[in-house]
Amino acid sequence: MTRRQHDVCRFLLFQQFGEQVSVVGKYLLQKSPSPLHLISSETHLDTEQVKKILCILIQQNIVTFGQHKRGFIEYSIRTGEILNRLWFPKYIYCAKTLYGDAAELLLEDVLQRGQVQMSKVIEVVMQRFNEALETSGKQKISESFVVDKFSNLVRTHFLQRCLDPIKSESNKVVGLEVTGEEETLYRLPDLSRKRKKSHDDGPPAKRSKSEVEGERPADDEGDGIFWRVNNERFHQMFRDQAIVQAISSKIDRSAGEVLRAMLRVSEVKTAGMATVTTPISVTEIFNALPKDLMARPLLETYLSLICDDSTNFLSKVGDSGGGMYSINIYEALAQLVKAHIESVVQERFGSKCLRIFRVLLLKKHLEQKQIEDFVMISAKEAKDLLYTLFSENFITTTEISKTPDHAPSRTFYLFTVNIQHVASMVLNRCYKALYNAMVKKETEVNEHRRLLDKQERMEAIAASVEDASQRDEILNTITPSEQEQIIKVRRTIQMLDHSELQICEGIFILEMYLMYFKQRQKDKS
Amino acid sequence: MATAAVKEEPIEEVDFETRFIMLCQASPEGITDNVIQKELPQCDTKQRMTIVNRLLSMGKIDLLKSGSKLLYRLKDPDSASQVKGGDNQEKLVYQIIKDAGNKGIWIRDIRFKCNLLLTQVNKILKNLETKKLIKAVKSVAASKKKVYMLYNLEPDRSVTGGAWYSDQDFESEFVEVLNQQCFKYLEQRAAAAREAKSDPIAQRNASFTPLEDVWKYISDLGISKVQLSKEDIETILNTLIYDGKVERSLVAGQATASGDGYVKLYRSVQPLIPTTGLMRMPCGACPVFDQCYEGGAVSPTTCVYMKEWLEI
Repeated sequence: MTRRQHDVCRFLLFQQFGEQVSVVGKYLLQKSPSPLHLISSETHLDTEQVKKILCILIQQNIVTFGQHKRGFIEYSIRTGEILNRLWFPKYIYCAKTLYGDAAELLLEDVLQRGQVQMSKVIEVVMQRFNEALETSGKQKISESFVVDKFSNLVRTHFLQRCLDPIKSESNKVVGLEVTGEEETLYRLPDLSRKRKKSHDDGPPAKRSKSEVEGERPADDEGDGIFWRVNNERFHQMFRDQAIVQAISSKIDRSAGEVLRAMLRVSEVKTAGMATVTTPISVTEIFNALPKDLMARPLLETYLSLICDDSTNFLSKVGDSGGGMYSINIYEALAQLVKAHIESVVQERFGSKCLRIFRVLLLKKHLEQKQIEDFVMISAKEAKDLLYTLFSENFITTTEISKTPDHAPSRTFYLFTVNIQHVASMVLNRCYKALYNAMVKKETEVNEHRRLLDKQERMEAIAASVEDASQRDEILNTITPSEQEQIIKVRRTIQMLDHSELQICEGIFILEMYLMYFKQRQKDKS
Repeated sequence: MATAAVKEEPIEEVDFETRFIMLCQASPEGITDNVIQKELPQCDTKQRMTIVNRLLSMGKIDLLKSGSKLLYRLKDPDSASQVKGGDNQEKLVYQIIKDAGNKGIWIRDIRFKCNLLLTQVNKILKNLETKKLIKAVKSVAASKKKVYMLYNLEPDRSVTGGAWYSDQDFESEFVEVLNQQCFKYLEQRAAAAREAKSDPIAQRNASFTPLEDVWKYISDLGISKVQLSKEDIETILNTLIYDGKVERSLVAGQATASGDGYVKLYRSVQPLIPTTGLMRMPCGACPVFDQCYEGGAVSPTTCVYMKEWLEI
């Protein structure tokens, strides 16, 4: 974990949970895992306080615990989970577009509470929904509607069960078990038991057998099970969205639709971190497309079009079933990362530098003279730009000596781009920029807090007052200059918010790529 | 008897010389010792030597080495007359420069080849220049370097830089203009294809332009004073590829006169993503990014760039 990521994590903890939690978080970031007494002594906080804080963090899935071999419990923090909180708004938006408002509220509640029981969250959502519906005069929704949405989310793996605690002999919880099969994480409880109490099915007996350690009560009404958000699934969805968007902008929308259908089919078939999806036949794709979108021959032309495209997202791997195609996930991510890095180079150094950078990306290794020839820029200028890129570590050199004594005049110096290196450099910068944006937003809000509070108060009062003239009077207590300032502050906060989201998108692609890269390295060795 | 023998020798020698010259004329690439021995069996080694030396000093033949054998070649009468005025050293230097062809030769290399002193070589070169036999051409690779070549030869492209250099200066604006024109042309073709066809495959194929068409268009535009070859246009299109605005594909086509069995097609493309998030805020391009930290002289709260950016 880099310094920049730690900064962002600390800031997030401070912003969302408060001063003391951030102190504990900072300590754990530096020195995890550690036992309770050490945490409380180092952070000079009361043990009871620390216990409460750790509870909060465990509830939010940020801290996990495990038993040290000497017998005491150690707590460790997961920076990945903290950084995932950056994408919570995106998760909620995703759920909304897929399953509607009820799902949006469900997810919001689950995210807020960290780990929650199904019945509880359904209750809360029902309440909120029906309140809103009542005020607007629409019909109330039934519980089964919300339960349906919840089951949808679970079935598509967006929500998963929390890990069950392992208990030691003295009935103390000593760790969280790791489930062997993934399928158990997504099993919905049988809600029919709540309705038909006299119904005595086989399932309860089967379920208690597959439960861990017999101590658990049978999950009547699903109350013993806690649910949480499955981050990996959302990340997969974002990755797919990024790929579809890229191909849509490169070719056209229908190509994007085709690719989306393919990704949906491969969701269930491909392993999580596979670099290439399993081959999918044309028939399957055709069945997965929305009806009436395109005829079969058109689909086939689109597939060959995407295959031939220079971005190399798709490749044809066989001819059975009308043609087997598979998506090169790793290749697609690499292209996206290259696009991001090129954009950074272009904005920071100029188009001529971009030309030099792309020449090196395409031709891998080149001498200085060759670069000058390819790039059609005067030699002096090209030299200058090349060395600027080199000093900022976007390109590196490899030395190949002609003679054993490695004399500088007799060695070839080849320039090259190491994508993984540049990607992690840009990622670091992104995190710092994100931190800067968050800090700036915080200071803006604090500076004008008085004004913003005043406006909120006024608006609340004006909304509750019935009389129109009184309302105007109240609203006029905010002077025009204050009004202007408020508008400006809101605009500032909005701009910083926007830029945070955009940086987050860039961070996501870079992180995904580096993860896949590491996986590939591991697979190779 | 002795006088008769003496009288015979000179006649024989002159005879041998003319016959030698005739032999040289007969085989323009040169003749070896063996050939001479076969044709003139009466001529022994010493006589051959004297003949060769005399002809060399008269400047009528050239002595060349081919492998381990010596070759005697008849020299061109014109060039023989040209350097008649000069002395041996000059002749040597002239020969070296002539051998360099149209690439020219650097003064240091001349010195290595003839083993003369620097001052001597300089004097000789000045002499030859005034006699208008050689000329100095500035190389485009290193602006201080001068290469010498024969007066009437055209310098090679590698020395002058070809169409992109005019008097040793790289013509950046010319390249830029060509760049933009080519790109506009390809974009127009792509836009026309998008409007005209509905089928994506046909659209893509129609938006591809072969190298020929681009070359013809640029030649017809007439923005270039000098006639540009296809290779020149190809280098310009390559720079567009490196800019990320154009992509190229090779398709099998008819083998043209130049011998290629494939055709190069170019097409303008859209970028994969719009500008990345990092660069949409001041931090991305900030020059003091590394010195920025909370509480320091440069910090996010006091950042001037941020303030300006948020004010717009």
